[in-house]
Amino acid sequence: MSLLTQYDADAEALRRGIRRFLLAALLAMLAVAAAIAVRQGVFRQTTGYSFVANSAQDIVKGQAVRIAGFRVGSVAQVKLKDDGQVAVTMEIDADYMRFITHDARVELHKDGLVGSATLEIVPGADQSRLAPAQARLAFSRADGLAALANQVRDEFIPILKDIKVITGTLADADKGLPGTLARIRESADALNVLLATSNRQVEGIGGTATRVLGKAEQSLGQLGQTLDATNQRLPGMLDRTQQVLDRTQQVIDHAGKIAAEAEASVPPILRDGSAAAADVREIVSGAKQKWPISTFVDAPAPATLKPDSDPRGEAGRVR
Amino acid sequence: MCAKSIFLAALILAGCGSTPNSANSPADPPRLRAALEAESDGAKRYARGDFNVAERRFDEAMRLHASIDDAPGRTRNRLHLARTRLAQGRAEAALDLLNVADPGAEPGPALDTLLLKAQAQLALARDAEAQQSLTAAADRCGAACPQAASLNLLQARAALAGKRPQDALAHADAALKLLRDRGEAVETGNAWRVIAAARLAGGDTAGALPAAQAALDIDRRLALPEKIARDWLLIGDIRRKVGAGDTAAAYQTALEVANAAALTGIAETATQALAELGKARATSR
Repeated sequence: MSLLTQYDADAEALRRGIRRFLLAALLAMLAVAAAIAVRQGVFRQTTGYSFVANSAQDIVKGQAVRIAGFRVGSVAQVKLKDDGQVAVTMEIDADYMRFITHDARVELHKDGLVGSATLEIVPGADQSRLAPAQARLAFSRADGLAALANQVRDEFIPILKDIKVITGTLADADKGLPGTLARIRESADALNVLLATSNRQVEGIGGTATRVLGKAEQSLGQLGQTLDATNQRLPGMLDRTQQVLDRTQQVIDHAGKIAAEAEASVPPILRDGSAAAADVREIVSGAKQKWPISTFVDAPAPATLKPDSDPRGEAGRVR
Repeated sequence: MCAKSIFLAALILAGCGSTPNSANSPADPPRLRAALEAESDGAKRYARGDFNVAERRFDEAMRLHASIDDAPGRTRNRLHLARTRLAQGRAEAALDLLNVADPGAEPGPALDTLLLKAQAQLALARDAEAQQSLTAAADRCGAACPQAASLNLLQARAALAGKRPQDALAHADAALKLLRDRGEAVETGNAWRVIAAARLAGGDTAGALPAAQAALDIDRRLALPEKIARDWLLIGDIRRKVGAGDTAAAYQTALEVANAAALTGIAETATQALAELGKARATSR
């Protein structure tokens, strides 16, 4: 009888122990679930904002929304409206509401040609008033490389047209450079004839001298006409040249601007690529050092390079 | 019973939380592991001919070894780094590194340091200094050491630079004998190249050509563009001395290889050789 009583007491104690252990395990699981929920932002207070875009290209649900590069929320909904426009709703952490001014705008940036698109809220100039919850913000897409190319094309087309007109003017047989040069040549020929005649006549000064002088006067008059014509045309040509120079200066300024823009946009792509490669290497080497992977991957042995007394093959040519 | 439950739970948690040891030995410390991985990666890059990345990785490994006061690791990577700089054609930078190297008491690194110094000095045409380094290396090497073949080849190159082709040939032949059955194709190619150059310098043009061809065959098999281009230059020089008709073809091949591998120095040499050949032909006509 006493044996049975003792058995019952032990069984009861074991049951109690198992109940306690299961309870503790349940509590631990709940704690882990709660931690995951907190980490995922289930209990985080958020505020909704929206914007309207022409197209949903590069905008997806769950996409990160950033302020000054920090992730502050995500896209909650992308919806096609009846008028064909796209309504986008964002959920922003309430802690970051203080950065969203009433004139803030949302910009869609793309990291290079193949980079991911990110939405960035750019606060406006007026910091005194914040945007209310559910406010609709302005939206713009940052210029991509295609837009930059179009900008360059738009700048170049008028310049090319100007160059075409000037080239045509200069090449014109009557009014351009060939005509002017022909007239100058004519005047020079006439002057040469005059000088030759003068030389011949100068010895026999007499009645012919008056005629020679008259001819000289005529030739000089002709030269004067040519110079007048040249004077009339030159300012126009110089004006056009000045215009070309002005336009060229604009192009140079613009090229500088484009170069500056490219400098701002292209190197980050390269930097990002390099940083990503470094990150991947870091992650892989870090992972290789962590349990359980470290147990499967042995550290490499010290490296030995194959002997090579002449790595550049310089022995072939005796100095 | 309660105590039993707590003990059981503690045992389970300890089992989950502990880091198991690897099968045979305790895991390497993370920093040493990182240093060895950088070194191993550098060696792979070096073997691929990617010397710029190899240099960075060896430098990283050297710093990591230095940070854990691992003198052999640091010295080993410093020597790797010097070799990489020599392969890049930066002999002066390699020499700077070797001059501050402290190989310690171990005979292997000390001998390697002297051999690399000799290589750099030969590349910089500091023949007297190279000879000193090689004499010191020969003293350390003694009758036989694993680096004896490389030592002989460098002595051969020094003799060539000192216009002593017979000495050069003797050293290169000795190196070739040592390399037999050792599977060191790179050094075997180097030995044939030195033999060809020594035979050419000694006036044995008939013997020089097959030696240069042997070097070219090995370097082609190993796919080493710089050496292939220089082998073709050497073949061009030999054919020119013989007066063979296909001399220009050899220089032209050297030029094509150099251009394809962006080896500007060799391309210039080949162009110059072709120009000289053209002038010589024009004069003879």
